[in-house]
Amino acid sequence: MYDSSERKKIAAARALDATDQEIIEKAIDDGLTTAWDRLADQQPQCGFGALGVCCNRCAMGPCRIEPFGKKPTRGVCGADADTIVARNLLDDLATGAAAHSDHGREVVEVMLETAEGRSQGYQITDEAKLAAVAAEYGIKTGKRKKEEIAKELAHAFLEEFGTAKGKLQMAGRAPAKTQEVWKKLGIVPRGVDREIVEGMHRVHMGVDAEYTNILLHAMRVSLADGWGGSMIATECSDILFGTPKPIKTRANLGVLSKDKVNIAMHGHNPILSEMIVKAAADPALVKRATEKGAKGINLVGMCCTGNELLMRRGVPVAGTFLDQELAIATGALEAMVVDYQCIFPSLPQTASCYHTKVVTTSVKTKIPGAVFKEFRPENAYDTAKEIVTLAIDNFPNRNPARVRIPAKPIDMMAGFSEETIRKALGGTYKPLIDAIVAGKIRGVVGIVGCNNPKIKQDYGHITLARALIKRNILVVETGCAAIASGKNGLLVPEAADLAGDGLKAVCKALGIPPVLHMGSCVDNSRILVLAAHVANELGVGIGDLPVCGAAPEWYSQKAISIGTYFVSSGVYVVLGIPPKIFGSANVTTLLAAQLQGITNACFAVEPDPLKAADLLEAEINRKRAALKI
Amino acid sequence: MKTVFVRPELCIGCRHCEVACAVEHAENKNILGAVTEKKKSQPRIFVETGPGYKTFPNRCRHCDPAPCMQVCPTGALVRDNASGSVGMAYARCIGCAVCAMACPFGIIRFGPVRQLDTDREVNAKCDNCLERQKEGLIPACAWACKTGALEFGDANDLVRTSRKDFTTRLVLAEGKGAEVTALPPNIRAFRAIMEELAGL
Repeated sequence: MYDSSERKKIAAARALDATDQEIIEKAIDDGLTTAWDRLADQQPQCGFGALGVCCNRCAMGPCRIEPFGKKPTRGVCGADADTIVARNLLDDLATGAAAHSDHGREVVEVMLETAEGRSQGYQITDEAKLAAVAAEYGIKTGKRKKEEIAKELAHAFLEEFGTAKGKLQMAGRAPAKTQEVWKKLGIVPRGVDREIVEGMHRVHMGVDAEYTNILLHAMRVSLADGWGGSMIATECSDILFGTPKPIKTRANLGVLSKDKVNIAMHGHNPILSEMIVKAAADPALVKRATEKGAKGINLVGMCCTGNELLMRRGVPVAGTFLDQELAIATGALEAMVVDYQCIFPSLPQTASCYHTKVVTTSVKTKIPGAVFKEFRPENAYDTAKEIVTLAIDNFPNRNPARVRIPAKPIDMMAGFSEETIRKALGGTYKPLIDAIVAGKIRGVVGIVGCNNPKIKQDYGHITLARALIKRNILVVETGCAAIASGKNGLLVPEAADLAGDGLKAVCKALGIPPVLHMGSCVDNSRILVLAAHVANELGVGIGDLPVCGAAPEWYSQKAISIGTYFVSSGVYVVLGIPPKIFGSANVTTLLAAQLQGITNACFAVEPDPLKAADLLEAEINRKRAALKI
Repeated sequence: MKTVFVRPELCIGCRHCEVACAVEHAENKNILGAVTEKKKSQPRIFVETGPGYKTFPNRCRHCDPAPCMQVCPTGALVRDNASGSVGMAYARCIGCAVCAMACPFGIIRFGPVRQLDTDREVNAKCDNCLERQKEGLIPACAWACKTGALEFGDANDLVRTSRKDFTTRLVLAEGKGAEVTALPPNIRAFRAIMEELAGL
């Protein structure tokens, strides 16, 4: 269809990473349809939707507001552009918060079943963390059995979802000054499910029509995610599977093996992937793999479940969101095992061009054409073994003539949980604070979020991270942003050479990379906890700290929730992809300017990562000046 | 003779063509920039709703001879000989609206245009996207149309499809194998319901 120079050009425009480009070329050669092709097929995308002025909620509609100042200026119900844009944003945000939080609830349920001895293959791993979190909830620890404590804590966690107590325990971790802002605005989160449900209520026709009031609730929902659902997901995963510590691994599509059974784990929740890791080490299954002609079993991660695994087990990571189809296009994948979130519904179709089997495991995520293996805590290990067996038995179907695996995986270091960072600094954030006060480190930016085919894959993440570390700004990362940095070689201590002199000296002294991998997208809660500790040590609010956020390549509704809980907590956030709000000048002004007067943080939209770096640096300087440092 | 051929049965009323037209004629050639401009670019194509919620994207047919050109007292309407399109010399327009009176299709709209320094309202009609055509691109409305309701090409070729379709219908007496109006059953059912609803 294309000659090789044309293919190269297309691949170079689609992805930054050379190994990705290599497989994109192969995918084009193989006639595969990928997200990039589908984006092209979707052009032009509806301008009403892009501006957020399309309302498709009720049966009087669908309605849209004419964005050029003509009629119609109101939907059939009478909602104007402000109301429609704000309602759409709250709807998207609540979807994202629900995704994080429902994931969190599932981890809690597994913890409960494990504590009650009803699960198979799981155990309470991090007793220190169990004790610490239990203490926060006022649960007695002492000489009680860990299962007893875990059971009580699981019930306390579950209560946070449908709580009757009117507050979230975890939100109490925020500094007093930050909580004061929430109180003043009336957005203290009262319960995870409650805020999401109330959000759904408010977007119903004839409920909330005042855009400011709708957006305030959006902030409340986001806080129930960041300081609730997501934080519970992180803490509970740590208790079950261990709190991450620095660990070395490798990244990019080159982690796939030429002669072993390749299994990619894609999705979000560690409760599935951890069990697959266990099953893949089963001697009987390893033997089965050799009998089928393979030299063993090679597990690789993808997206956030990949992050969970590399943070705790050092499992190599094949790539980010836009690598899911490319991993299949290598022709070397026996199975892609998924749970939920960020799974392309077209994956089985992609896989049908090769021998790869797509295995769905959650009742919440069924995909036509995939093999469904229901994963439940009570028979988790058996199911995991079944799935690994399925992959092994598929190995003989691999066609070596259609396989291409890029040559060189990149070394990376991960595992920077908040506890680990604090411990590395000597138990207190004073050394970090001193370095910031002295100006060796100007500030901290959390680069988070996804890939989006609207921007060259990883270009936003990498260009921004490199620009920031050069300016002596420490970068902490989660999600696909962190994997992108892994692929690009920024997650090794040697990358400190790319940093400015001040940051470089600090990194060299501690032996850490200038970009710290803090985990999956629910682990953005780790960044909140870190910021809360630093603010508490200084006796200020999070909004006073020279800390910013950026999501250069976001696509997901979860990113809207993350961005909003950052801003609501006082952290300025630069988005690389415009949210669907530009159809309302009022909503845009509120989010991009007026919020600063309330939480001391707001949103900005800047697709060019170099200009985004300027904005972030300016904000850090503004906050430094206010702190008189 | 090249034209934008309209197949109204395929129009679903999304107005993508309107947005694409307005963006194309704005200073910023993207929607986020276009909506911030002082003189907001207006679409030069009109998706009109007819009886039974049926829609029709109406635009300049670039007639030859063009009634609007024939009646314009100032010679503001000018033909681009290469493409056969009827364009505007905005500075010459006096806003008398005689062109609009002569237009058989009612597609002329007056408004301020970015090409003039004043806010004077002039004939801001479809120019067949001359700038795009010079770059080898088809008019923005036809490019934006996802359903094939607007199709750009040689008029005879496009009409041939309709003719063949008519022949097929006539011969088979039931439209089996018809090309132009091969609407999926769900869309036909939806339209039937809407038509009924329009009468309630």
